[in-house]
Amino acid sequence: MSKEGNYRTDVTPVWCPGCGGFALLNALTTRVLPNLGIPRHRALIVSGIGCSSRIPAYVDTYGFNSLHGRAVTIAQGAKLANPDLTVLAIGGDGDFFSIGAGHLPHAVRRNVNVTCIMVNNFVYALTKGQTSPTTPYLQRGEGAFLSPGSYPPVDPVLDMVSYSVSTRASFIAQGIATDVSNLAWLIEEAIKHKGFSFVNVLTPCVTFDPPWLFKTIKERASYLKEGEPVGLPDSSPEQPWLHDSSNITLALKLAQTSVTEKPHIGIIFRGRSA
Amino acid sequence: MRHRLTIGIAGAGGDGVVILGSLLQRLAASQGYFSQMPRYYGPQIRGGASGLKLSLDTARASVPGDTLDVMVCFNWEKYAELEQELPLGSDSVVFYDSAAPKGSVSLPEKSFQVAFSEISKEVTGATSAKNIVALGLLSRILASSEDPLKAAVPQDEALAILERNGLAFDAGKRLLPEFPFTDLKLSPSRDLSAKVVLHGNSAIVQAAIRAGCRTFFGYPITPASEIMEEMQERLSQGNGVFLQAEDEIAAVGLALGASLTGAKSMTATTGPGIDLMTEMMGLASSAEIPVVIVDVQRCGPATGIPSKSEQSDLNHAIYGGHGDAPKVVIAAYNMEGCYRLLIESFNISEYYQTPVILLSDQWLGQTTVATGSDFLNRDYAIAQRRRPGEEYRERYRRYEITEDFISPMAFAGDEGLTYQATGLAHNEKGRPSFDFATHQRMHEKRWQKLTPLRDRDDLVKVVGREESRRGIVAFGSSAQFVLETLEELQLNDEVKVCIPELIHPLPDRLATFVGSLEKLLVVEMSYSAQLYHYLRSQMNLPSDTEIYARAGGLAFSRKELSGPIKELAR
Repeated sequence: MSKEGNYRTDVTPVWCPGCGGFALLNALTTRVLPNLGIPRHRALIVSGIGCSSRIPAYVDTYGFNSLHGRAVTIAQGAKLANPDLTVLAIGGDGDFFSIGAGHLPHAVRRNVNVTCIMVNNFVYALTKGQTSPTTPYLQRGEGAFLSPGSYPPVDPVLDMVSYSVSTRASFIAQGIATDVSNLAWLIEEAIKHKGFSFVNVLTPCVTFDPPWLFKTIKERASYLKEGEPVGLPDSSPEQPWLHDSSNITLALKLAQTSVTEKPHIGIIFRGRSA
Repeated sequence: MRHRLTIGIAGAGGDGVVILGSLLQRLAASQGYFSQMPRYYGPQIRGGASGLKLSLDTARASVPGDTLDVMVCFNWEKYAELEQELPLGSDSVVFYDSAAPKGSVSLPEKSFQVAFSEISKEVTGATSAKNIVALGLLSRILASSEDPLKAAVPQDEALAILERNGLAFDAGKRLLPEFPFTDLKLSPSRDLSAKVVLHGNSAIVQAAIRAGCRTFFGYPITPASEIMEEMQERLSQGNGVFLQAEDEIAAVGLALGASLTGAKSMTATTGPGIDLMTEMMGLASSAEIPVVIVDVQRCGPATGIPSKSEQSDLNHAIYGGHGDAPKVVIAAYNMEGCYRLLIESFNISEYYQTPVILLSDQWLGQTTVATGSDFLNRDYAIAQRRRPGEEYRERYRRYEITEDFISPMAFAGDEGLTYQATGLAHNEKGRPSFDFATHQRMHEKRWQKLTPLRDRDDLVKVVGREESRRGIVAFGSSAQFVLETLEELQLNDEVKVCIPELIHPLPDRLATFVGSLEKLLVVEMSYSAQLYHYLRSQMNLPSDTEIYARAGGLAFSRKELSGPIKELAR
């Protein structure tokens, strides 16, 4: 039996061809779980609602495709009751940063040892293309969403990575769906980290995102390497500094770089293990 | 000599009203007296009105009388705020600390100004022991009042405070030497063994521990918070998991997560929290995950009256949530029930793999009761979740349709039994399936597995003569007031009473009871008569059916229930 055979169920994914969900599925079933030697029965994947949240049906571990936005609550309950389980909470940007956003800072401050993987495709895809909190809508050429005469928002995009840093999540990484081996490595590091870990996966939505969006992200992606200079956007007046994932101030600066200008791929912050 | 006595205490926050009531209740309990002590408090954090009623009884934990036999008042202004709940009768004996009341309160004939504060200052140097002085005075109504502390203190360490305040207590005992306390004196309790003192919220906690619950998740809310606080205390002593969640959605989500791993888990809340938990309750029903949710009902809708009782969450408990998601609804009506039914809730939830909502209410939850401890020491069967055996390894179907529709449930972590659950419509393997026939079959499974509960005669209490053709149906704490009124009216032979503890699915015994009647009265504390409408939806009611239903807040009085009950018996 192949390694993949060990961790994949026989259910065919509902995703569109080219969807970033496949990258995460491959990373988990062919690399992360076998590499870490986690037996199928020792892992639990809890998901929310959305395209990426269909993933539990495809991975032959324990799984629960639960409610929109609530995966992280169920995941923590399971981990607390059975600490031997490796528990992953998987969902999309709508799950974690819209309907379920209220749960994240509490997961962070409790630092329960679960890994939260946010498959960020910048759009509500399952419901066919509505704006999500991470949609860079101005770049899509749409008008402001507030009525004329009202104040425009300061920044229409809720930046989940800076949010995680500012709430001091103890492990924060950003991966990209087009680089499965790097993504798998990041998730492995996240799982190995003792405490709450958050992995943001930059993912194209081949159906509802404008094609330039992920193309831009992919072209400008910049890999973070410990001790090496970080990439900065051309517009940045700053000098690149040497990447130090233990420095939360630098992590915040990285996180605040617009993802369409310079998407940082790698471990953004790694605090002390619990 | 009296068999029962209703004592009222009123004052401002900080007067020591609750301490006085609690100490008197415990002192009486040490001599074997039964009692109930509801507390009345307002929305203020500190300094508001504080009052309580204490019904001391020689035979059972009866609900307090409508009017007070005795009252101690420390503050007439605050009493005015509590007058609806602590009404005086013309026979009431009143001992009051400060100047006579102004305005609307008219003092009964037997009213005495007693300088509790001054005496306290005299003997202790401060006025703060005035409640202990009052306690000394009131202790003279108990049968053994000569030296009540001697026997009591070793039994109840909460009473040790009285030894340290011996001067104030003794000074109180010597007050009003001429007053004929024999008129107020209680005869000795019929059962002299010391009684346990607890409130319903505490009984629920003790039962949860007894049932094997080791994971609890909650969010503070009046009047359910004591459950969370006591669970925190208990679980932090053992191998338990306790977490105060960020909201009620998270609380029940955490509980479901823990339950997936096989832990008996629970949460407790009241109306607004139940609203937030509703989506998760549907998920638990659909994915067949055991969880116990306690609803200590308070007045709704919206914020309502947080500190007062009502029975208006019944509809939500039975029908709340979208889709056809069956839930088991159980309602306790007394202290023993809070304990026994919480264990039962776990048994049903674990056995049938379904969410169970245990309805309590503010009266049950927060009224401290002194009663016999038999129910705490009895043996209770503890049900376990059905788990897949060896024969299921590698061919496990989580939602296999079995003869009784209950499928063995693996614990997340069990080897060789991985499965993937979902809130989507699913097939026997748990895989998402939008096949309509499968959808229909899974509904049948989830509903029909609960059918045997209809035969649970033990979860329906019937009081009175079977041949009687006149009957009352009441649930929750209201049932206590119905029983009490019936007894006072001496109509037990004419009228029988049915108190369903299992509400949903509807037990057959309740239907049989209603079917035997020519005249039915439904009594409930819900403006829209939710219980009546539920019964009406389930069975044919006698053409002669009356409803006594009103909004909550104020407890039922015997006087108000007498009218409809006499009418029923006519």
